[in-house]
Amino acid sequence: MNEKELEVAAKIKSMVSENLNIPEEELDYEIPLFGDGIGLDSVDSLEIIACIDNEFGVVMTGVPKEHFYNVTSLTKYVVEHM
Amino acid sequence: MNKNINTRCVVTGLGMINAIGNSVDECWNNALIGKEGIDVVKSVNADDCYANLGAEVDCAELDKYEGVDRASKLCLKASDEAFKDAGIDMANEDATRFGVIMGSCVGGVVSIENYVVGGEKTEDIRKMTISPIANHVANRVGAGGVISNVGNACAAGSISVAYACELIRAGVADMFIVGGADAFAAVPFAGFHALHALSEGPCSPFNHSNGITLGEGAGAIVVESYEHAKKRNAKIYCDVLAAGVSSDAHHITAPRPDGIGQMYAIRTAIANSGLKPENIGYVNAHGTGTAKNDEAEFLSLHAIFDDVNDNLSVSSTKAMVGHCLGAAGAIEAVYAIKALTTDIIPPTIGYTDEDLEMLKEKAGKIDFMPNVKKEKKLDYVMSNSFAFGGSNASIIFSKGEGSVAETANDEPIYITGMGIVSPLGNGVSNYIEKVKAGETIEGNSAFAETTKEDYDKYDVKMAFYRKLDKLSLMQVVSGLEALESAGVEISDDKAEDFGMIIGTDDGPLTTVYKFQENISTNGTKSGSAFNFPNTVYNAAGGYLSIKTNMRGVNVTVTNGAQSGMSSLCYAYNEIRQNHAKVMLATGTDENSEVMEKLYKQLGAVADSKAVLYGNTGMAMSDGSTTVVLESAESANARNAKKYAQVCGYGMTHAITEYGEVKGTEKGLEDAIAIALKDAGISASDIDAVYGFGNGETDVDNIEKNVYGKLFDSKMPVHNVKAYVGDSRSAAAALSIATAALTLSGELGNEQKAYFFGDTVTEGKADTASYNYVLATAGSEGGSYCAVVLKKA
Repeated sequence: MNEKELEVAAKIKSMVSENLNIPEEELDYEIPLFGDGIGLDSVDSLEIIACIDNEFGVVMTGVPKEHFYNVTSLTKYVVEHM
Repeated sequence: MNKNINTRCVVTGLGMINAIGNSVDECWNNALIGKEGIDVVKSVNADDCYANLGAEVDCAELDKYEGVDRASKLCLKASDEAFKDAGIDMANEDATRFGVIMGSCVGGVVSIENYVVGGEKTEDIRKMTISPIANHVANRVGAGGVISNVGNACAAGSISVAYACELIRAGVADMFIVGGADAFAAVPFAGFHALHALSEGPCSPFNHSNGITLGEGAGAIVVESYEHAKKRNAKIYCDVLAAGVSSDAHHITAPRPDGIGQMYAIRTAIANSGLKPENIGYVNAHGTGTAKNDEAEFLSLHAIFDDVNDNLSVSSTKAMVGHCLGAAGAIEAVYAIKALTTDIIPPTIGYTDEDLEMLKEKAGKIDFMPNVKKEKKLDYVMSNSFAFGGSNASIIFSKGEGSVAETANDEPIYITGMGIVSPLGNGVSNYIEKVKAGETIEGNSAFAETTKEDYDKYDVKMAFYRKLDKLSLMQVVSGLEALESAGVEISDDKAEDFGMIIGTDDGPLTTVYKFQENISTNGTKSGSAFNFPNTVYNAAGGYLSIKTNMRGVNVTVTNGAQSGMSSLCYAYNEIRQNHAKVMLATGTDENSEVMEKLYKQLGAVADSKAVLYGNTGMAMSDGSTTVVLESAESANARNAKKYAQVCGYGMTHAITEYGEVKGTEKGLEDAIAIALKDAGISASDIDAVYGFGNGETDVDNIEKNVYGKLFDSKMPVHNVKAYVGDSRSAAAALSIATAALTLSGELGNEQKAYFFGDTVTEGKADTASYNYVLATAGSEGGSYCAVVLKKA
């Protein structure tokens, strides 16, 4: 990741941790957010979409789910659409 | 105890207010012409929101109900109409046999907003929760029996009807005003907005299914025993047959895609009414208009009625009046009763010609009543409600007597397990140790805590517990400990035999308050999808059912601190009426910065350490207590340890302003008298009391005056608040647990006690010889509960 991506990733990770009540130590940039990883569900994805819209002004409503796979994929999408 | 389980329940009064009318007649006539009550919302700022519609009530007469939250105003309006319609003359009634049970989802949330944005006025604090609603109605009509509210979100209104009929059938009461109320408010609007569950246009149930439109209103129904109605020569609308109440044990907001929870509720209502699916002529469906709801409901209706009932009509009146949340079940029950008694079915509005083509495919042989009413001879109608937390309720109304199945169970009922979360630590063995050592909380405010150690102990994974607020976490941990201590195992094929009644005073007030604070600061569109599910009162019970797969009856009751004891009475009834094999009864309440601030502003909290019966004010505290109840048959089959037998209970109300207790001695006296009679013993048989005084002078004086009258000055009065502080409902349930631990010998032969002579003295009591003990609980507002326990 470049400097910009690292900055965005750190922000997304802390937002996800804080707003979805996930201990920071359980979360890294690669762990899958949904399914067997952290176990997020559709309600959580709405919270992520709201946070990203609020923080970066990037609208992710209706975006294919592979972009929500982990913090890294969210970061790539956000940086590309900022 | 032999109770009359077969009593016939009838409807004798109706009241209703919603977006299309301020009376039953107006709401009914407008429904028949398909009037849509949905418009651009006025009471909530929907700027920047993708949806801005609502079905709000327009009724200047509500202003006459002063000093109460809008939800209570709506409830009082509908209750006044129902009470008048029933022609009740209280001069001829025994007030202790007349109760009020109201359902609500968000209770006094408009008053939370008023408090947050209106300068934090003290007068708003007592209006914030659900508790006051039934109290206001009781005071207005003069009811002095069981006063309670059901907090099961969007199924609350239906469950209130079911609960009242159970109490009538159990011989506990003759008559109730039941129903539900909710006001249009920012919190649910912002919450459903965050979940993208609001429809941009008017909601379109069983049609476009692209979201709900929120509404507001109230429904009120007078239900009474047939004998009582005949005796007072009342006009009878119809009979109330059986209900089915179940829990999905699946997801906190979404219904089970396989629909088995809904189907169990519907099938139970039909079977326990002595009916078959082909007998049902009309279903007033839940029909919210969300994709998930409508899909699940299509599935369950087709699964139950296809092939056996080619003449079923189904409509959703929500297309006209919006989704009135905790009022929905009550409003829809009134619509169902009107349909039954007039033989006219109201329509589901909103179908275009194109939609009608689409409907053909989805509807099969069921008539979803598109756009226009129809006349149809009806004998049996059903009203269904489904809610957040996976709560399902179905109830049947009938033109004739029906044949409700006899379900009496005369087996003794025992406490066979318990779980405790308190500021002294978690776990029953820890509690025993601390009580024996005489440990108490420090200062005027204490906090329980659940930690990863607790979650690991009961195999609660991070993906699950991270979603829960503190109220739910405490409830899940105490519930899991209780099941483990009882050695109860829940198999999937018997999951409906296991249920729970959650009791709470303030419910998720902390979570709701914070949600409101956030949207008041950042706008309605900033509501959190993550936090919204925790704003409903039955979230704690919902999570516990998901974790345990307990799919039976799951109800949250809320009427002040005594809710943690009245939950036990409700759970006891469920076993008595064979609705469950094993029931959890709980009391859970939370302390937080928010709660501390509110209770301190009310002047209830001690300046430093609280002293019980010492005129200091209370020590604010929190926690969760769960006890396991089961019949002798079930306990013996498992060779379970029996801590104590539950022998009888009484629930009453003395009229006073909500928030007051002064002068309500008669309420406690009545509750004790009824409990003793129920247990078949007299006051002289009681060996000790587990009381509820908390250091507040008015509360303590009630106990002093009543026990002084009923018992001699040597009667030991124990009080768990001496150890854990005033954790409200958690303390009420802990009184039961502590009494049971005492009777079973777990707490040794000696315990701290108070003796109410001319002055209150503290000392020790020899507990070894206790055979019968009485546990009592009271709430702000004058509702009381008393339970008699016996050595097992």
